[in-house]
Amino acid sequence: MNRKLTNWILGAGTPVVVVALWWVASENSTNTFFPPLNAILERFQALWLFEHFGSDVLLSLRNLVIGYALASVIGVGLGFVTALVPVIRWGLDPLIHFLRGIPPVALVPIFISLIGFGIEMRLASITLAAVFPTLIATVDGIRGVDSTLKDVSQVYRLTRTEKLAQVYLPAAGPQIASGMQVSLQVAFIVMIASEMLGSSQGIGAMTLLAQQSFMTADMWAGILLLGVIGFGANLVFEAIKNNVLAWYVGSKRLARS
Amino acid sequence: MKKNLRQMLASAGGIALVLALWQAVATGPMAGGPLPPVSLVLAQLAGLLAGGTFWAALAETLLIALAGLAAAAAAGVVLGVLIGSFEPFRYATAAVLEFLKPIPPIVILPLVVLVLGPTTQMSWFLVFFGCVLPIIMQTVAGVHDADPVTLDTARSYGLGRVEILGRVTLPSAMPFIGTAMRVAAPAALVITVVAGLLGGGPGLGLSIYQAQAGGDYPTLYAYVVVLGVLGLAFQGASRLAEGRLLHWHASYREVLNP
Amino acid sequence: MELQNTPATLDAPAAAPRLEVTALSKTYGSGPNAKCVIEDLTFTVNKREVVCIVGPSGVGKTTLLKCLAGLQPATSGTAAIDGRTIDGPPPEMALVFQDYSRSLMPWLTVRKNVRLPLRHLRLPAQEMNGRIDTALAAVGLSHAAGQYPWQLSGGMQQRVAIARALAYRPEILIMDEPFASVDAQTRFELEDLCLKIRDDFGMTILVVTHDIDEAVYLSDRVVVLGAKPARVLDIVGIDLPAPRDQISTRALLEFAEQRTNVLSMIRKPA
Repeated sequence: MNRKLTNWILGAGTPVVVVALWWVASENSTNTFFPPLNAILERFQALWLFEHFGSDVLLSLRNLVIGYALASVIGVGLGFVTALVPVIRWGLDPLIHFLRGIPPVALVPIFISLIGFGIEMRLASITLAAVFPTLIATVDGIRGVDSTLKDVSQVYRLTRTEKLAQVYLPAAGPQIASGMQVSLQVAFIVMIASEMLGSSQGIGAMTLLAQQSFMTADMWAGILLLGVIGFGANLVFEAIKNNVLAWYVGSKRLARS
Repeated sequence: MKKNLRQMLASAGGIALVLALWQAVATGPMAGGPLPPVSLVLAQLAGLLAGGTFWAALAETLLIALAGLAAAAAAGVVLGVLIGSFEPFRYATAAVLEFLKPIPPIVILPLVVLVLGPTTQMSWFLVFFGCVLPIIMQTVAGVHDADPVTLDTARSYGLGRVEILGRVTLPSAMPFIGTAMRVAAPAALVITVVAGLLGGGPGLGLSIYQAQAGGDYPTLYAYVVVLGVLGLAFQGASRLAEGRLLHWHASYREVLNP
Repeated sequence: MELQNTPATLDAPAAAPRLEVTALSKTYGSGPNAKCVIEDLTFTVNKREVVCIVGPSGVGKTTLLKCLAGLQPATSGTAAIDGRTIDGPPPEMALVFQDYSRSLMPWLTVRKNVRLPLRHLRLPAQEMNGRIDTALAAVGLSHAAGQYPWQLSGGMQQRVAIARALAYRPEILIMDEPFASVDAQTRFELEDLCLKIRDDFGMTILVVTHDIDEAVYLSDRVVVLGAKPARVLDIVGIDLPAPRDQISTRALLEFAEQRTNVLSMIRKPA
């Protein structure tokens, strides 16, 4: 009991201590790169809550959400088709494997050259970059469905739709979820990159602007916000995943014990 | 036999179709615009490969990526073993690691560029930051996965703490570390390119930025093609390395989902 | 095709063949690497009969079942139900797989697993639930309806797979070593369940097993397969009185004789 309490205290207490140390250590800092923590927090509140909330925060988040949603739908849909139609799979395979190796951020200059600097460019970049992990994971998941499960669906003469929706999709679920989690990361990264490379609006753009103007506290405020969003988005994803895939989590836990 | 032939034909057909479409659009409706024809891109690519600046940039990129990866591996494994072996450490660092895990290096890029400037060190640091965390966490998982029966057996034979570490814990953690490295290697390359593209660090990333800023689209596309090939090569190489070194473990490799 | 609940009749199994296998062969691959797994199998299963297929391990029994269930095409020969050649999974047939744990959907509870084939049949909810309850009760798993397959032991998983087939109410039930992972006591209960559903629903049942005692206890006839590639060594009629009983039937002299008969046929050098 004592040990559990100690662990709990360590777990909850260390971050608090770290933040406190940062506060104290930076209190009277005159270092341009590391301004006092309370100055950063003050700028954080001034910028994001709520002066630039609508114009920049919501803008970035909206692109992220729409781009990710599109990428997920396209990724899973195209993944199903690719996995189940051999000719399409053979045809697309080399293309997919080549494109997935390109750093997603490197696609942004291409989109800038093709579509310019507007919101469409950012949305297109986010969507295209985020499609790949989901697409590849979906194909792998569907191809990897246990042959016995396929036999069962055949013996009981399930229709094609029933097979896809009731057997293939849940069976590939864990793998698709894995891919979608990576896609979320990629979407987040490209959201930031597309703003830094070609925009004056959005959290990424503002952070870069602050850095270039040597407004370091503002820059830190931007970094902090991005960190919180990255962490938060992942947290929400994990919560949803653990709910939808509760069966998988349980079976893995059992298998490892 | 027949199926393989059909497969290859379909694959080749897919590639050919895409290239033909690209060429058609670039020379037809979008002629003179920002989409360069395949022929021009290939010509530019040939020019790049012939020149010296490309290879210099490539070398810089690879060096930075490998240096960052090596440092991340060393620090990651050491920290991972420490954290994994001592429960108080694990609980203390858990919150910090979990918070940092989903944060990509691009988030701190502005800060690092500010402090270190558009230099090799800046790129190296970003690679280190991006790779060290997954390696730490996979190492912790690997240490955790060591079979308790084996550990007890070793202890009952009187093996010292360090010996147990070297003979039992580390070998059992190898598959996890291997997987982390296999994932980190291409990531190191990507981060180096991003550091160049967004932060001005030396290497192919910078070359891409310059091509785009200067409106030299054929060169831009040529570089992207190079990156694609490089990415494939890195993936293949790290898979090969992992297979070679860990072939004895391949049968029961277990990877934790991130 | 309507699935009927035929009321119990104490007639002996009609001599009308339901399942006819004629010169069935299956070869994998072609050319020099071709592997002939089953060769020239011929036998029939009559209406309301229980027929067991026995033979040494790995002889090809599962391949035979897959061909019968329409999951694989035969290389030559035919299998027919009521005269119709089988070239796809027949709607009146259900199969209980040998690899039971892989045949259950891990994301569904026991109840939902049993329900899966019934959803396809578009039954009214009340009948569906009734069938599921009956099936689970028959295999003794009513208490586990809300659990997931991975929470159950191997034997319980096997029973879920059987319950799923039962709830489907097929006219022809094929089972691939269905009682292999179950403890002896439960096995006796399930063997009797097998006989009961044949009596209650008039099902025609084909069971693959390598337990000779079980084959003799259950069957009206036993098909003995031997040697690779699998061939029919003999078809033995089991002349034991019905209804069978675990204690009294197994104590009969005839039981031992039949068992010896079948066993020696399997043991015979090819």
